[in-house]
Amino acid sequence: MAMEESTSSFCNLGVLDTLSDDSIQEIIKSYNGFSVSTQALVGGAGDLSVGTEFAAHVHGLCKHGLESLVRDHFLRELEEAFERNGASKFWRHFDAYSNVVDLKKNNNPAISEDEIQQNLIRIRYQREGQMFIQKGLILYQNIQFIVSSVLMATLPPHFPEILHWYFKRMLEELSTIMAGEFKDDVSQHKDDMDLDEKGKISNRAGEMDIDEGFNNGTFSENNRLVKNIGKVVLDLRSLGFTSMTEDAYASAIFLLLKAKVHNLAGDDFRSSVLKSIKGWIQAVPLQFLHALLAYLGDSVSYESTSSSLKSPLASRPSSCCPGIDTPSEGLVRWKLRLEYFAYETLQDLRIAKLFEIIVDYPDSSPAIEDLRLCLEYTGQHSKLVESFISALRYRLLTAGASTNDILHQYVSTIKALRMIDPAGVFLEAVGEPIRDYLRGRKDTIKCIVTMLTDGTGGNSSISGNPGDSLLEELNRDEEIQEDVGLDDDFNTDDRQAWINATRWQPDPVEADPLKGNRNQGKVDILGMIVGIIGSKDQLVNEYRIMLAEKLLNKSDYDIDAEIRTLELLKIHFGESTLQKCEIMLNDLIDSKRTNGNVKATINQSSPKSVAVGETPLSMDILDATIISSNFWPPIQDESINLPEPVDQLLSDYAKRFHEIKTPRKLQWKKNLGTVKLELQFEDKEVQFSVAPVHAAIIMQFQNETSWTSKNLAAAIGVPVDVLHRRISFWISKGIVAESVGADSSDHMYTLVEGMIDTSKNGGHNGSSQELLVGDEEEERSVASVEDQLRKEMTVYEKFILGMLTNFGSMALDRIHNTLKMFCIADPPYDKSLQQLQSFLSGLVSEEKLEYRDGMYFLKK
Amino acid sequence: MSTINGQNQTAQGNNSPIAVASSKQSLPAPKSVDSQSVLRRLQSELMALMMSGDSGISAFPEEDNIFCWKGTITGSQDTVFQGTEYKLSLCFPTDYPFKSPKVKFETFCFHPNVDVHGNICLDILQDKWSSAYDVRTILLSIQSLLGEPNISSPLNTQAAQLWSNQEEYRKMVEKLYKPPNA
Repeated sequence: MAMEESTSSFCNLGVLDTLSDDSIQEIIKSYNGFSVSTQALVGGAGDLSVGTEFAAHVHGLCKHGLESLVRDHFLRELEEAFERNGASKFWRHFDAYSNVVDLKKNNNPAISEDEIQQNLIRIRYQREGQMFIQKGLILYQNIQFIVSSVLMATLPPHFPEILHWYFKRMLEELSTIMAGEFKDDVSQHKDDMDLDEKGKISNRAGEMDIDEGFNNGTFSENNRLVKNIGKVVLDLRSLGFTSMTEDAYASAIFLLLKAKVHNLAGDDFRSSVLKSIKGWIQAVPLQFLHALLAYLGDSVSYESTSSSLKSPLASRPSSCCPGIDTPSEGLVRWKLRLEYFAYETLQDLRIAKLFEIIVDYPDSSPAIEDLRLCLEYTGQHSKLVESFISALRYRLLTAGASTNDILHQYVSTIKALRMIDPAGVFLEAVGEPIRDYLRGRKDTIKCIVTMLTDGTGGNSSISGNPGDSLLEELNRDEEIQEDVGLDDDFNTDDRQAWINATRWQPDPVEADPLKGNRNQGKVDILGMIVGIIGSKDQLVNEYRIMLAEKLLNKSDYDIDAEIRTLELLKIHFGESTLQKCEIMLNDLIDSKRTNGNVKATINQSSPKSVAVGETPLSMDILDATIISSNFWPPIQDESINLPEPVDQLLSDYAKRFHEIKTPRKLQWKKNLGTVKLELQFEDKEVQFSVAPVHAAIIMQFQNETSWTSKNLAAAIGVPVDVLHRRISFWISKGIVAESVGADSSDHMYTLVEGMIDTSKNGGHNGSSQELLVGDEEEERSVASVEDQLRKEMTVYEKFILGMLTNFGSMALDRIHNTLKMFCIADPPYDKSLQQLQSFLSGLVSEEKLEYRDGMYFLKK
Repeated sequence: MSTINGQNQTAQGNNSPIAVASSKQSLPAPKSVDSQSVLRRLQSELMALMMSGDSGISAFPEEDNIFCWKGTITGSQDTVFQGTEYKLSLCFPTDYPFKSPKVKFETFCFHPNVDVHGNICLDILQDKWSSAYDVRTILLSIQSLLGEPNISSPLNTQAAQLWSNQEEYRKMVEKLYKPPNA
């Protein structure tokens, strides 16, 4: 203090000369008085009683032109005093909460709001008091500056956090109030629709209508709350914490919004949440901000500082806040910020869960729709692609996943991403790893064909999982094509061109120009699936084999479902590729007719021939499928001896067929087909539907209840190992028992009387009427694609060996060309150079060929 | 014990195999032969030959001309030609199979019915030709001709004279044999 005085005196030495003694005296007196009263005012407990005295002294000094001196002294005094007492006292109020905050964040500083308010008010009073004292001088700005700088300098580290928690708490309180109100309104609205129409309409849309006013208690409470917050914000701002305050409430709002989004979105993909999130943004944070900004009365003061450079987003006099008349620019900015944040949060949430979303695809389409909107807004598609691909790699493309599952997921992915990205650019990127992976799997084609045909195949009555059947997809595409057809009137071309032109959108930046020729806006699911395989021929071939299998195992001639499937396939793959399949179906239709014909005429013409056998069999029990084998896939041939009466029946049938259809003859494939038989035991009857060989085996037990495997095999006419395999069916059914006979290589098979063992197959008991050949499913009647491929390759091998025999040595491409030219087998040589090369190196490793200097030789 | 109540069997319609012309079909050759059908015939012969798996005979069309084939015959076991391998050339006329192909040895063959230029004297390649023959039967005939020459009408009289002495003949064959390279 003394120091202060001396320096100030020293500074004024220059002007002292100009002053009279009187005035000097007066100044000194006044100054001393001023110093004392200043100290009393500032340093003391705020004793305002010295105010008048102080004012008089100040006045006296000012008269002598010493305003600056007075001001400097006072301010310095004030700063020091404040630093000494005020600031520490101020911060001390918050110390109590710092521990709370540090300890556990969820333990909300319950009273802090009041405390903060009280503190702020105190400070304000203090300042107001000073202001009142300083009425003669314009010191307000300086004081404010001093106060804020002192507070800043002494800012305890936990203060922003306290602010943050304070706002968070306030907002939560507010949002519960709002949410309650929101709910009330909705329910009320439901109850009395016709009342208060006007007032409610805006509420229904999820927006608070401030101007319309809420005349109920909750509103006033929330208004009060907003006012309180506003007061705090105002106080803090006047303390110079503008940006800190703003940060605090912004982060609180964002945190709350995030929590809200997570809460609303959750793991339920069945409903769209975007709208309710938007509604909530309108209802809670925006309302709060609106009230706050309105209370602060400064949509001008700080928000508009940047309004000179108008942002294109904010300048839109948008109708974004209905219910709030002429939303201030600050509010619009806030709205955009909040919405973007909400979109981004939701998008991240959904992308992280995209795999699950796609797993439940048809149900989860609202979530996908949300995601689409979010992505439209944020444009972070690449995030989706990356995250989804890694999820796929981790969760789907593993050895444990069945090909069927992968395919279903692939189809769902296509469907789902088609919603997000109709141009298929991201689909391309996402689909690539799946396709690559599927190509490495052997059963891919088989699974695809099953998927394609399963919709109707066999059990058209069961319409379950329609989403899983690709046929449905084919169906829909068909309908779309029809729709397009309907649209065709005169000026369609022009109009369509115009529509297309207006709809044109550039490919997203992520699009790979190398993979161009994207068909606009349409993703062809079937095309993408065929793309896995590479060529539709392979698919058709596999389909043909499956169709053959299915047709051969049919016991009625009902092929309506197959015809429908075939017709649909024809639309997509063309008539010519499916010609053979069509012939197969026609065979079935012809078979039905011929079968009826043969049976009808055989009974009239030669009834006695049937009665020759010991147990005469009626021709009625026999239905034949007559196929033109050239058009069918290669059929497994396996000879068996059928029981005598059945054999007789077959040859009678064949004879009659030859009579009707001269010169054609019937060649029975005795191992194919289905036998429905009934086993009669002493106490029960069991029905089976089995392959002929099974029937032949069990027939042998009719007369003799025990067989050695060698004898039985000879009787049936199959090798012993085949018998072992086949008879296991009856053993598993508990009808035949196996035991080791005298010779260890010769097993004994004995009929189990009374079928005690059926109880062992407990699960089957209820439905033992119709037991199907389950475990023998691998025994196919038609050669599989792999078999065919092997056969094809054998042909090529022979050709290659043949040409090398005659030409000595040949280079790869000469072999390739020669095969192309001369190997016009069925199917023709269609391999690529690479495929041939790997095939040839296979032959080299089998030591059939040698490879030297780029030439292939025969291994001598 | 068990009675069969119903049965389905799958039968196969009997389809005649690919129409390989029968031996009776040596009709007067039509003047204009459909070249497409000749091609098809040769292709199916190639396929049949490749799939037949006969040992010791082989033939394959040259690179871009299905009318010119290269053939290979190895001498049968227990003949003097055992262990030898002979290259042949087969040229098919455009009205094949109504005319016989021209068959020549490319490798020198010391044989009573083969001259120094490789021309072969074999009845089925001349007057006894029938469209029922095909590449496979021609090659088989030539292979058997190696072991059973027709001494009565030799092209190579030295070989014909030597034939009776199989040991000497074998030495001669070995001396004159040049394994085809490539």
